[in-house]
Amino acid sequence: MTGSRAPVFASDLAALISARDAELVDIPVIQPADQFLDMAGEDLRRRIFLTENENGQSLCLRPEFTIPVCRNHIELNAATPKRYGYLGEVFRQRREGGNEFFQAGVEDLGDANRARADARSLADAIASIRLVAPKAELETLLGDQAIFEAVLAALGLPRGWQKKLARAFGNPGQLKSLLADLSSSQKNGSLPDHLTALVADGDETGLAAALEQDMQVAGLSPGAGRSPQEIARRLIEKANLASVKLPAQAFAALETFLAIRVPLQAASSHLRTFSRANEFDLGPALDQFEARVVAVREAGIEQENIVYDAAFGRPLDYYTGLVYETRALNSPDLGAIVGGGRYDRLLTMLGAVDSIPGVGFSIWLDRLEKIAGEAQ
Amino acid sequence: MTITLALPSKGRLKEQALDVLEKAGLKVILPKDQRNYRAQVEGDSRIDILFLSASEIARELGYGSVDLGVTGEDLIRESLSSADERVQIEARLGFGHADVVVAVPEVWYDVSTMADLDDVAAEYRQRHGRRMRIATKYWRLTQQFFSQMHGIQVYRIVESLGATEGAPASGSADIIVDITSTGSTLQANHLKVLEDGIILKSEACLVSSRRSADPAAVAALAQRIQAAIAHG
Repeated sequence: MTGSRAPVFASDLAALISARDAELVDIPVIQPADQFLDMAGEDLRRRIFLTENENGQSLCLRPEFTIPVCRNHIELNAATPKRYGYLGEVFRQRREGGNEFFQAGVEDLGDANRARADARSLADAIASIRLVAPKAELETLLGDQAIFEAVLAALGLPRGWQKKLARAFGNPGQLKSLLADLSSSQKNGSLPDHLTALVADGDETGLAAALEQDMQVAGLSPGAGRSPQEIARRLIEKANLASVKLPAQAFAALETFLAIRVPLQAASSHLRTFSRANEFDLGPALDQFEARVVAVREAGIEQENIVYDAAFGRPLDYYTGLVYETRALNSPDLGAIVGGGRYDRLLTMLGAVDSIPGVGFSIWLDRLEKIAGEAQ
Repeated sequence: MTITLALPSKGRLKEQALDVLEKAGLKVILPKDQRNYRAQVEGDSRIDILFLSASEIARELGYGSVDLGVTGEDLIRESLSSADERVQIEARLGFGHADVVVAVPEVWYDVSTMADLDDVAAEYRQRHGRRMRIATKYWRLTQQFFSQMHGIQVYRIVESLGATEGAPASGSADIIVDITSTGSTLQANHLKVLEDGIILKSEACLVSSRRSADPAAVAALAQRIQAAIAHG
């Protein structure tokens, strides 16, 4: 697909989306840029088309739909549960392929039955592909951020390490180098004399007071950025961590976990066996996982090839549970046809007063058109 | 056919660039009118000298509208995406030394490496309701270093057009990415460079454009200057 021509199947796909109970929304092409940079990170800056209005506010051409759809929901103060669908152009600077391409998707907001909403999202995504490419050989990879975090907690790792590792989920290279770092100890840099004893004693209050004085000398406002208490707490935390080492057994368990790759319908029993063997209690995360597997079984996509990959994740800090991606096995270089996941933190980060759970997916229509052509 | 050699239009960089050329036997006849930005080399009509600001030189080399130029590596890497595909560094000239560094408030005693900064950035939003802010005029270098090299995604760049080192004290940013040669400005502002926070060790370089229309002439001139530097 080149330029701004919508693919021929666009109207059929839009019809399928609204038939599946999602209200099609119109989202303006020109968007405030800050919301995207805030959520996805500065790395996005070189991939979006940025401009400014007369007042110097940063604007960009819509690089994706999820964030503006959620913002729109918050601004309308709409009732939940609510399902939104969209189909339209997005704009990104890409090394390969055009800079303008079409995406479609569904964002499902506020359904308290997360397992059911997750399964429905998967079923909607796969049905959308099947509408256009009924015979394509697909593989859907499914990961779960919550299971990974539960395993980290069960390993008995210090909190700081758990968070560090959780952030690297879905990024095998970074995870590997982090694990290597954690097997050696980390130390605080050299401290000035007046702080050394306070850190050694774990005197957080005294340390914070000393730091506040240092801040005033440096002309830093203690209320503007990192507070003296925050720095004091982390100094003491680091001093305590310096003596901890990641035991070889925990390493081995983590490696076994990350290597799990099984058909989804076998994944629950596989995870149960894994946690029994290591005497882990994966708690509500595993219950939720199992409920989702059951819901997927009931969603009418049993003939589809869905694989649970314990190491599969998306390194964005608003994903909280399910993440998935569908690829065409005959076009491995094409990348994902669909990407989706659960983002229970996103709406709060965007300014919603109440916490609103959400799950959604996007289809790359240019890629879908390609596999439809190849399957014929 | 002539080739264009761009030189910094003012200051120490200009003087030192002219010295290097003179060592290579290229005496630049400065225009009588200081406002004139073009000059000639004594006895060599095949070289056009063009005086531009150092950052313009970087950009023009990227477009290929000048064939050779003297400018800082920091400006090359900041102004041009995939710089190595568009220009080539022919020689490091041994002046204009400056490091592009990540500096944080000294009082952040718990932060001495990029890994520490990763922790702080990850929790920043939860604690303060906004992302950690970095003041810099080097947004490309910052973004490459943080996002691609260290996998840190959650921060915001605040573009700073001057006096970047004052940003943490004025509250417009938490940390900075800036250029430093002696470190004294950072020190005066109670900032410290992270142990692994040197993004680039920059100096003035002779740089050629890969889009030049006359690569042979460019290579010959570059070689002549390289040889002069090698002989001291």
